[in-house]
Amino acid sequence: MEPRVLANKKEFTFKSFFLQWEWLLVVLILAVSVMNASLSEYFLEYDNLRDATMGFLDKAFIVLPMVFIILMGDIDISVASIVTLSSVIMADLFNHGLPMGWAMVAGLAVGTICGWINGMLVVRFKELSSVIVTLATMIIYRGIAYILLKDQASGKFPDWFQYLGWEYIGGIPFILIAFAVCAIGFGWLLHKTVFGRRVYAIGNNATASRYSGVQVDKIKVLVFTLAGLMSAVTAMFLTSRMGSTRPNIASGYELEVIAMVVLGGISTAGGKGRMIGAILAVFLIGFLRYGLGLVNVSAQMLLIILGLLLILSVAIPQLKQRFASMRRI
Amino acid sequence: MKRQITESAGVPGAQINIGKPARSVSEMIGKFRELGLLGFILLLSVGVQLRNPSFLTWENISDIATNTAILSILAVGMMLVIITRGIDLSIGATLAVSGMISALLVSHYPGIHPLLAIASGIGIGLICGMVIGCLVAWVNILPIIATLGMMNVYRGLTFEASGGKWVSAHQMPTGFKAIATGTLFGVNNLILIAVAIYIVAYYFISHTRSGRRIYAVGSNPDSATISGIRSGRVLWLVYTIMGGLSGLAGVLWVSKFASAQGDTASGYELSVIAACVLGGVSIAGGVGKISGIVLGSVLLGILNNALPMIDVSPFWQMFIQGTIILIAVLINALVKRGIDRNHLMRRKI
Amino acid sequence: MADSEYALELKGITKIFPGIKALDDVYFKLKTGEIHALMGENGAGKSTFIKVITGVHAPEEGEMYLNGRQVAFNHPTDAQKAGIAAIYQHVTCYPDLSVTENIFMGHEKIRRRTRCILWDDMHKEAERLLGELGAGFDPRTPMGALSVAEQQLVEIAKALSVDAKIIIMDEPTAALTSNESEELYRIAERLRDNGASIIFISHRFEDMYRLASKVTVFRDSKYIGTWNVDEIANSDLIVAMVGREISQLFPKKEANIGEEILRVEGLGKAGYFADVSFSLRRGEILGLTGLVGAGRTEVCQTLFGVERYDKGKVIFKGKELKVRNPRDAMRQGIGYLSEDRQKQGLVLQWDIGRNITLSALEKFSGGGAIDKRKELEVAKSLAEKVGVKAKSVFDLVSSLSGGNQQKVVFAKLLTAELDVLILDEPTKGVDVGAKSAIYEMINELARSGYGIVLVSSEMPEVIGMCDRVAVMREGRITAMLDREVLTQEAILKASMDDTAPGALEGRRAEA
Repeated sequence: MEPRVLANKKEFTFKSFFLQWEWLLVVLILAVSVMNASLSEYFLEYDNLRDATMGFLDKAFIVLPMVFIILMGDIDISVASIVTLSSVIMADLFNHGLPMGWAMVAGLAVGTICGWINGMLVVRFKELSSVIVTLATMIIYRGIAYILLKDQASGKFPDWFQYLGWEYIGGIPFILIAFAVCAIGFGWLLHKTVFGRRVYAIGNNATASRYSGVQVDKIKVLVFTLAGLMSAVTAMFLTSRMGSTRPNIASGYELEVIAMVVLGGISTAGGKGRMIGAILAVFLIGFLRYGLGLVNVSAQMLLIILGLLLILSVAIPQLKQRFASMRRI
Repeated sequence: MKRQITESAGVPGAQINIGKPARSVSEMIGKFRELGLLGFILLLSVGVQLRNPSFLTWENISDIATNTAILSILAVGMMLVIITRGIDLSIGATLAVSGMISALLVSHYPGIHPLLAIASGIGIGLICGMVIGCLVAWVNILPIIATLGMMNVYRGLTFEASGGKWVSAHQMPTGFKAIATGTLFGVNNLILIAVAIYIVAYYFISHTRSGRRIYAVGSNPDSATISGIRSGRVLWLVYTIMGGLSGLAGVLWVSKFASAQGDTASGYELSVIAACVLGGVSIAGGVGKISGIVLGSVLLGILNNALPMIDVSPFWQMFIQGTIILIAVLINALVKRGIDRNHLMRRKI
Repeated sequence: MADSEYALELKGITKIFPGIKALDDVYFKLKTGEIHALMGENGAGKSTFIKVITGVHAPEEGEMYLNGRQVAFNHPTDAQKAGIAAIYQHVTCYPDLSVTENIFMGHEKIRRRTRCILWDDMHKEAERLLGELGAGFDPRTPMGALSVAEQQLVEIAKALSVDAKIIIMDEPTAALTSNESEELYRIAERLRDNGASIIFISHRFEDMYRLASKVTVFRDSKYIGTWNVDEIANSDLIVAMVGREISQLFPKKEANIGEEILRVEGLGKAGYFADVSFSLRRGEILGLTGLVGAGRTEVCQTLFGVERYDKGKVIFKGKELKVRNPRDAMRQGIGYLSEDRQKQGLVLQWDIGRNITLSALEKFSGGGAIDKRKELEVAKSLAEKVGVKAKSVFDLVSSLSGGNQQKVVFAKLLTAELDVLILDEPTKGVDVGAKSAIYEMINELARSGYGIVLVSSEMPEVIGMCDRVAVMREGRITAMLDREVLTQEAILKASMDDTAPGALEGRRAEA
């Protein structure tokens, strides 16, 4: 074996640095902001930006663990139902006389358990794929919410609970602070830790990861459980902002969350993408939605745009790859 | 043990006759799933009848049958999709958009022939299906993502098309409403249409090349490439058929309930998937029978009808449906594991 | 249209996959009515070559002539229509469908006008074809219920059903016992006598001597030469295939065998293997060989905790070993280099450094966070130690050659403190230079006290490297051969003989 020296410095080029997907998102956010600012002179005012942000941040909490799930090549479409179920259970327990604090703990616990069940089913029944497993639990979880609450609303929470979604700390919305803390935590987990490295490994090649001593099943269960927990966190903020809950809240959240993750550049084939992309996508879709609201675009039109955004953000990389390989031949 | 090996391997060539090893429970379920389903349906009917004698009346049975007809038409398409290892969440929305547009059509031009209305619905469904087919087959988007996205697009289009309003019974000509309520030889049209579709579908999947290729692609996509099967085309075809059937179901639905709304059939895709997995269609691909999904649809139709009759709150319905899907797919998976294990045991090592 | 004496001729075929040249300027001529052996070691490019002929892959360069006429296949159906059929190494079947359908997939019999499939005709025809091949199972059986040998017969029936003029058999004997192989030889000869031309791919000499009149050799994706079978000496053929004389390839090694470290007693897993017993000592290289599908890989994977065994026990360092997953196994001191490095060994999309450290990430972490500088240092030094040829540790693994990829996998094993290494076909798809480097590395590891299980199908490798060899057949160890009695004949006899494994018990060396 002749001795050989390998370089241990990465080559840095400005071209590859600026050709990253995240820059596209930054440009798009700027474009949307310019559009919004031209539609409304108040848009760029601090108070307005702050309140706009508060409006769309609730579901952003689910985006964080969903990044992990999609990175591993899985999907979880039951998150919206978990939001509903933990919100309904929290309200139900509170109405049965449990102190609000404990009711919240119970809500968080329920979400965590729901996520854990998803994870266990996914790893125990590998032949089923996470699509069908979470499809079934999606119906079941919302079904339980309907059984508990029928089609009624439940509310009358204590005042302090309302603050969760509406209050500011030092002029900054509490929900934004909470999101920032979670985002930094999840970003650190994904990019700096052993755990995150293993998640990437699973997404790229689950078999090789297992052969390399990565406990694939354990990590998957943990990530699905985290998704359950964060869905419950979303449930807290959403319920607080709405002041009451119903068994049909948060419907369609799964689409929005998945759209944000995919738009953030996380590949549905697994193993590729970064947390920052998904976070940028949260703000992009949030501002877009705000701007469309300014020009009185209907909620239905928004559905169409969201659906198309999802399709486009998956299709563009696919098509790019296809054309690249065609040119090579 | 050792003697057995000598016997099987000692014969020259590969003259290994497969013996008749004891059948395991899972293999029995795999073989007699249809009979089991039928038995369960009968048991359920008898049970419900004992609780509520108005269950097995002619009126109620025909009500169940017409409801099941639409469900099973969709299940035929969904079965094809699942056989190719895909899933289609957009069918409720496709149904709604084609039902809405054909309803708008007949309300604006009441003179239109009902068949033309049906054709328009099918046409719109086909287009919706083709779009998804292209996304899945050629752009290579995962079925779940493609159909989740398009589901919202189609649902949005339904609202946009109607301006958020309903098309209600008095806006529809009687000829249109008669599509679902009329009879031929004393049998409801819906049932006739459904039966016709079973027959055509049965012929298609078991007696034509294209039909068999759907199974081939689902059973082993890599082999399919080597056998020269253009899997892209097969996938496209499957989603297009699914779209066409949803379009047809849309017209039938609107005609039967005599109203078209923005949220028509929302969430209905879940019932359809439930009917398929109950009928033994394997999520892992390659397996599924018409007889199975028809029975699955009937069972689901009876459940939906019977639960209110035995005083189960309608709010339980969603939970029950989800549980059925979950249990059915888990049983399917366990049965398949059992069969695979049996094949291994045959090797006698 | 000049009729040629060649049924098939390929000139200057080059096929490039992202990162690798799978075929490099390859030539091949097949005469009508001959059986032509195509030989080469694993990974020499044989399988890709067939896929080019059958239209699965389009070559980047080169020409192909069929009966003197130039053709270009864009799709497998083009090749099918031209009368080319292939029987692939890994049986490519539809497990859920019936045998009949498997035979006729892609060319079902249909009624002209109605385009309706004629099931009865197809079943009858399938029965006839299978009967001709001496198979006794019903064509209505689902394919998934058949054994490997039976599935192979179905594949042959498939080739017969299209009335192919050119039949390609890719390692058809790799999983067959000698009686089954003999039956296959007879079928091949009958096909030839009926006017078919056959390309017979194998890396077994017996196949070639028994059947072929011509032999073409590929090595490292390149064309080496074509000879008449009776004109080339065995040793020359080996040089052609391996690239140098075998004696130069295997380093001399002084045995330095220590205490027993691993003992396996009566290990069994239903459907895969049974009664597997052997022991391994420090510094020893134990060969594990046998036909493809004999259960070698399964045994190794159970020891490594990928699968569970249901009978017997494993004693490691004097204590009974229980492992639930690969992580357990590695912590206890057992490492496994898998046969399929692309699917099981490496994360191809990652760079060299990350691949090396994946299995030992805890070592570079404090409080959960990865210490990237330390990680980089270790990765760099290990990559240099095993001699990976690359510019930097940030090069993607997918851009490396097979040999260098394998070195990365070795480096991965070195990150953990192990006592036993299980190497499953470590030189598969590796060029000659890297091969001898790997052999040297294995010897080096044995010298430094590792106990090594070397799984291999390559006869020279097994004979050249191992201190003892266990031969497996149909899930059982049929012989344990010491170095003194280690000959090709002995291995073949133990791996292919159709007598009951029990009959060989008396000849087993003391394990």
